[in-house]
Amino acid sequence: MNTEIEILLVEDNASDAEMTIRALKANNLANRLLHLKNGADALDFIFAQELYSSRKIENVPNLILLDLKMPKVNGIQVLQKIKSDERTKKIPVVMLTSSKEDPDIKKCYALGVNGYVVKPVEFDAFYKAIADLGLFWMIVNEPPQ
Amino acid sequence: MELLNAYKKLALQNEDRELRAAELVIANKELAFQNEEKEKRAVELVVVNRELAFQHAEKAKLAEELVIANNELILQNNEKEKRAAQLVIANTELVFQNNEKEKRAHELIIANKELVLLNVEKEKRAAELVAINENLAAKNIEKEKMTIELAAANDGLAARTSELIAVNAELESFSYSVSHDMRIPLRAIQGYSRMLKEDYESKLTPEANRLIDNIISYTKKMGQLIDELLAFSRLGRKELVPENVPMQDIVKNICTEMTTEHSCPRIEFKINELLPAEGDTVALNQTWINLISNAVKYSRLKDKPFIEIGSMEQGNDTLYYIKDNGAGFDMRYADKLFGVFQRLHNEDQFEGTGVGLAIVHRIISKHGGRVWGEGKVDEGATFYFTLPRKSDL
Repeated sequence: MNTEIEILLVEDNASDAEMTIRALKANNLANRLLHLKNGADALDFIFAQELYSSRKIENVPNLILLDLKMPKVNGIQVLQKIKSDERTKKIPVVMLTSSKEDPDIKKCYALGVNGYVVKPVEFDAFYKAIADLGLFWMIVNEPPQ
Repeated sequence: MELLNAYKKLALQNEDRELRAAELVIANKELAFQNEEKEKRAVELVVVNRELAFQHAEKAKLAEELVIANNELILQNNEKEKRAAQLVIANTELVFQNNEKEKRAHELIIANKELVLLNVEKEKRAAELVAINENLAAKNIEKEKMTIELAAANDGLAARTSELIAVNAELESFSYSVSHDMRIPLRAIQGYSRMLKEDYESKLTPEANRLIDNIISYTKKMGQLIDELLAFSRLGRKELVPENVPMQDIVKNICTEMTTEHSCPRIEFKINELLPAEGDTVALNQTWINLISNAVKYSRLKDKPFIEIGSMEQGNDTLYYIKDNGAGFDMRYADKLFGVFQRLHNEDQFEGTGVGLAIVHRIISKHGGRVWGEGKVDEGATFYFTLPRKSDL
C-alpha cells in the first residue's frame, strides 16, 4: 500500500483544521492526510528538508490545502515557493481563507494558485465546500503524469 | 605930310588924342580898372575854373562811380525783380497756405469744441470709472479676504480629507478584521455544535438537543449579520459605474426568481412601466432585490398578497415605487426604516437583520437620489426612491 501523503493541509487554526479533516473523512478522503500548523513546517515537508529530509521530494502530495493567514511564513509565501520551483510547481494548491475581502486573491492567482475557497461560516456550507473540493481534486481531476 | 597931316591930324588927333587920351586915360583907367577887374575876375575864374575842373574831375569820378553804382543797382534791381517774382510766388503760396491754415484753424476750432465735449464726457466717464474702481478695490479686498478664508478652509479640508482617508483605511482593516477574525470562532462554535449533535444526538435528552439547535441557529444568524455588514461596508467603498439600466427587465427577473425561490406563487405582481435609469447596474439590481424581497416577506402571510411596482417622471428625476399590502409599519418609526440593524418587526414575526433598507438608502444616496417609505400597520407599505435622469456619478 502506498504510504505517501495524498493531501497536505496547512492550517494554523485548530477548529478549522478539525472541521476540514472531518469533512474530508466523511468522504473517505483523509486516509493519507497530513496536517501541518504553519508555513515553515509546510516548506520543510514539501522540499524534504529539516525534519522531513528523509522524504523524497519527488513524492509530491496530490493536493495542498493552504490557509492564507498563518504566523511566520504565510500561505502566499508558501505558494510562491511551491510555484517557483520546477519540482513542485505542478502540485495543485487550493487556498483556504476566511474572507472575500482579501486583496490577496489576485496575488494568489498571479502566482499560479489552482483554487481559492472562502471558508463559509455556516457549517453545512463549509462541510460541502471542503467535500466538493476534496472530491474534485482527488477524484474528478486528472493530475499531470 | 603925312606927318603934318599926321601932325595936324596928330594935332587934331592930338587934341582928339588928348581928348581921346583923356578919354583913353579914362577909358584906360576904366580898362585898367576893368582889366584889374578882369584879372581879378580871371584869377577868380581861374580859381573858379580850377574849382570847376576839380569839380568836373570829381563829377567824372562820381559819374564813373555812378555808372558802377548804376550797374550795381541794375544788377540789384534784376536780383530784386527776380526775388520779387519769387516772393510773388512765395506770397501766393503763403496766401494759399494761409487759407489752408484758416480752414484748418476752423476745423481745429470745431474739433476743439468736439474735444471739449468729449473731454466733458470723458471726465464724467473717468468719474464713473473712479467710482467703479473704488468699488472693485473694495471687492478685491473682500476677495482677498475670502481667498485667505478659502485657503484656510482648504487647508482644513485637506487635513479633514487625510483624516478621512486614514479613518477609511482603519474602517477597511476593521471590516477585514470583522470578516476574518470573527468568522473563525463563529465557525468553530457552529462546527463543534454540529459535531456534538451529529456524534451525540441519540445520547442527549430532547432539551439538550433543543439547546444545541438554538446555538446553531444563533451562530447562523450571526454569520448572516457579519456577511450583510460586510456587504454594506463594501458598498461604501465600491466605485459606482454609471450606465443605462433597464429597470423593467431587472425587476421582472427578480420577481420571477422570488416567486419560484420562495415558492410563493400566491403573490400577485403588477409591474407597470419602469423607465430605464442612469446608474450602476449591480447596485440598482441590489436595490430592487432588497425592496422586492422586503415586500414579499411582509406580505406573504396575507390572504391575497399583492405587490405593485411602477415609475413616473418627476421634474429632473425619475420616481420609482413599490407598494405592498403586507404588514406595513407605524409611520412614527419611519425615520428608523433605513438605519443599519434597525428593525420595526420582531425576529419571530419576520426574519431579517435590518441591513437591507440601509443598503438601499446608501445606494440611492450615492446615486444622488432620495428614498422614503410610507406605511400603515397591517395595511401595507409603499417605498419610493428617485434617481436623477442625468447621472452625475
